[in-house]
Amino acid sequence: MSDQITTEAEKHSAKRGAKSKRPDSGDILNRELPSLVTPTVAAVMSAVIPGLGQMFARRVQRGVILLAGAASVIGMFVWRFRILGERAEVPGWPVFLRALDRRPWFVGFILVALVAIWILSAIDAHRTAQRPSRSGAGAFLAIIAALFVLGWQVSEIDVGTAIQRIPDALPPLARVIWPWEAAVEFEENEVGGTAQILVSPEGMIPPQVDPQPGEPGVTISPRQGTLASQNLDGNAGAIGNVPGTEVTVSGFGFEPSTTTEIRWIDQNGSIFPIRQGRDELIVETGADGTFSVIFTLPFPLIGADPEPSGTIHQVQARQVFTGEATASRALLIIISRMVETIVLGMMATLFGIIFSIPVSFLAARNIMSGSRISMAIYYLVRFTMNVIRSIEPLIWVLIATVWVGLGPFAGIIALTMHSIAALSKLYSEAIEGIDPGPIEAIQATGANRLQTIAYAIIPQMISPFVSFSIYRWDINVRMSTVIGLVGGGGVGFILVQYVRLLQYRQAGIAVWFIAITVALLDYVSAEIRNKLA
Amino acid sequence: MLEVKNLTKVYDDGTVALRNVSFTVDDGEFLVVIGLSGSGKSTLLRCINRLVEPTDGSIIWDGQDVTAADPPDLRNIRRKIGMIFQHFNLVKRSSVLTNVLSGRLGYVTPWASLLNRFPAADREAAAKALERVGLTEQTRKRASELSGGQQQRVGIARALMQEPSIILADEPVASLDPVLAHSILGNLERLNQEDDITIICSLHYLDLVQRYATRVIGLRDGELVYEGTRDEIRSMTDDQFKQIYGEEAERITAGSIGGEA
Repeated sequence: MSDQITTEAEKHSAKRGAKSKRPDSGDILNRELPSLVTPTVAAVMSAVIPGLGQMFARRVQRGVILLAGAASVIGMFVWRFRILGERAEVPGWPVFLRALDRRPWFVGFILVALVAIWILSAIDAHRTAQRPSRSGAGAFLAIIAALFVLGWQVSEIDVGTAIQRIPDALPPLARVIWPWEAAVEFEENEVGGTAQILVSPEGMIPPQVDPQPGEPGVTISPRQGTLASQNLDGNAGAIGNVPGTEVTVSGFGFEPSTTTEIRWIDQNGSIFPIRQGRDELIVETGADGTFSVIFTLPFPLIGADPEPSGTIHQVQARQVFTGEATASRALLIIISRMVETIVLGMMATLFGIIFSIPVSFLAARNIMSGSRISMAIYYLVRFTMNVIRSIEPLIWVLIATVWVGLGPFAGIIALTMHSIAALSKLYSEAIEGIDPGPIEAIQATGANRLQTIAYAIIPQMISPFVSFSIYRWDINVRMSTVIGLVGGGGVGFILVQYVRLLQYRQAGIAVWFIAITVALLDYVSAEIRNKLA
Repeated sequence: MLEVKNLTKVYDDGTVALRNVSFTVDDGEFLVVIGLSGSGKSTLLRCINRLVEPTDGSIIWDGQDVTAADPPDLRNIRRKIGMIFQHFNLVKRSSVLTNVLSGRLGYVTPWASLLNRFPAADREAAAKALERVGLTEQTRKRASELSGGQQQRVGIARALMQEPSIILADEPVASLDPVLAHSILGNLERLNQEDDITIICSLHYLDLVQRYATRVIGLRDGELVYEGTRDEIRSMTDDQFKQIYGEEAERITAGSIGGEA
């Protein structure tokens, strides 16, 4: 059987060879390793198990990839299917129907793709068994398409919801994008005066107090009255509210033509606005800075009826002026946390540099290649550093918070660990890349060992060392904002709190500060590194 | 006078770079060492100031055994032997001035030099050396900013700062184009004639050898295969030159000679 194929292929290639003298390595391979089965058998095999025909056509790798691809499509499909078909009463057919009902497009597409995979794989097997060079990529493309559709479904991509919720997301987003209203607060300056009134039937009527010179004064008349109360038994008139005494409050020496609040202060010092009907009592001073208003005494907050002897309440009139704008508390907190973040990055970089300089010499091949022992140290150090580096700083924070608790110190430990590993690799590469020529030249002048280090080695190392260190600082500050999110201190820490409290403006300020700092640092670090290069 | 006696160098990996090489160099000579790449020229030059430790043999310079010198003596010997290199070997990140001043490292107080402090006399000497090689304008520049020819002249100025009796030049023009090659070798020739500095220089191109050498030695596979005077080298034909270089290298050397001409 296989002999026949070989001859066929030979004849075919001979014909082609006669037409064009191009050597075809595919034909030569084919001649050396003929298919074990005929194209038809291969096609049938692959129509049963995708890839089987290819394997028998001596294209084992191709067959295995096809089989693995088809198997993973089926595997994922069954998994998603069971999730979609959940709560179907009976397993089997109803699961399928329920899944089809819930996601018709998805289930339909995958079914079509599966059929395509089987058919294309059979066609591919036929062609491969004929001539391997002729086989195409159709079956693989079908598998890839099916895997991506499955991926779309597995990762719960939901474009509809994303678009639908845009209106809801815009207001908080706008607050994050332009948060500066929360960055300022205004001072309140107030001027005002009080007058006292006796609200119990007995007791001393308080004297009229004259104001300090230059300060506004308030008078009340009469200086004794009763508070509003409720008549509950109906003996003394209709059941209902009994209004308090009508009083006249006058003020003088106030800012002219300005809104003035009238407020009540009870015997305990509690302040509350006086309501006349629904509105709070607010008057406007005249051009001469005086006002006069008549109102009835309010209900007591808590109190006896009548009030105990000698209970004195006060009426206050005050004008509030908006003073100078000051930085809001949130802004100050964010700035201090931002400074903390930058310092955190600096400290971590400093510790990273201190530890990684000695380590980098141990990890430099040209320095450690002297003996077997030093090479063993070299490999050990390299391995350890690779392990430390492969652990993300976020994980290091989690470890460090267990160790030293939440806060910037945990962040410093995390970033230091990562910096040591990253810097010692970069430093050791700088040491390995040193040019031996200048060392030779300086030695040739009669310089001693220290002079050689100072004149030939250090000048070559300074620039990469400084450059890598600054780059690392840049990375560390950027990372420390993220590290705060998981408890490592700094601005990230406070950002998470603001987001959780839905204080989007404050969160927005933090985001702005992070962005500005990172951009500045990026620029500065690039500039310095350019200068050094 | 420099006497090289039975010099042998075997590297740790077993490569024999020099086999029993002996020759003498009189004061004031412009000795050119020729030979194929890997024939041992660089090793020979580096053995003279012991940048490479010889395995066997001795080097006697004015009656002093260089090969037996202890480290302090060796530094004193080295400071009288200037050296320039194919790749210039300047500290690229340092200024031209610092590179030139580093030629004084064998003379100055070590601790002061670590702080980059050099005596005023040395600074003046550096300015003069730079003037001599025509680089006064470049004093403050970084070595890396200079062209190849300029860098090699800085190398010469650095060697000059050592007030050397000998200058070793290892392929000083191999990284430069032919015009610059003449400029650099002209500089060396002037030092040779005006300052009476002995030059030991390895070169590749026959016409350069004929133009500058007062004496020539040839190396092949670490062995001394040729010694010739100025007149002998001037009358040398390409064929004889090729014999030193070995038949297998015929095409390469012929090509490079052709390219040079």
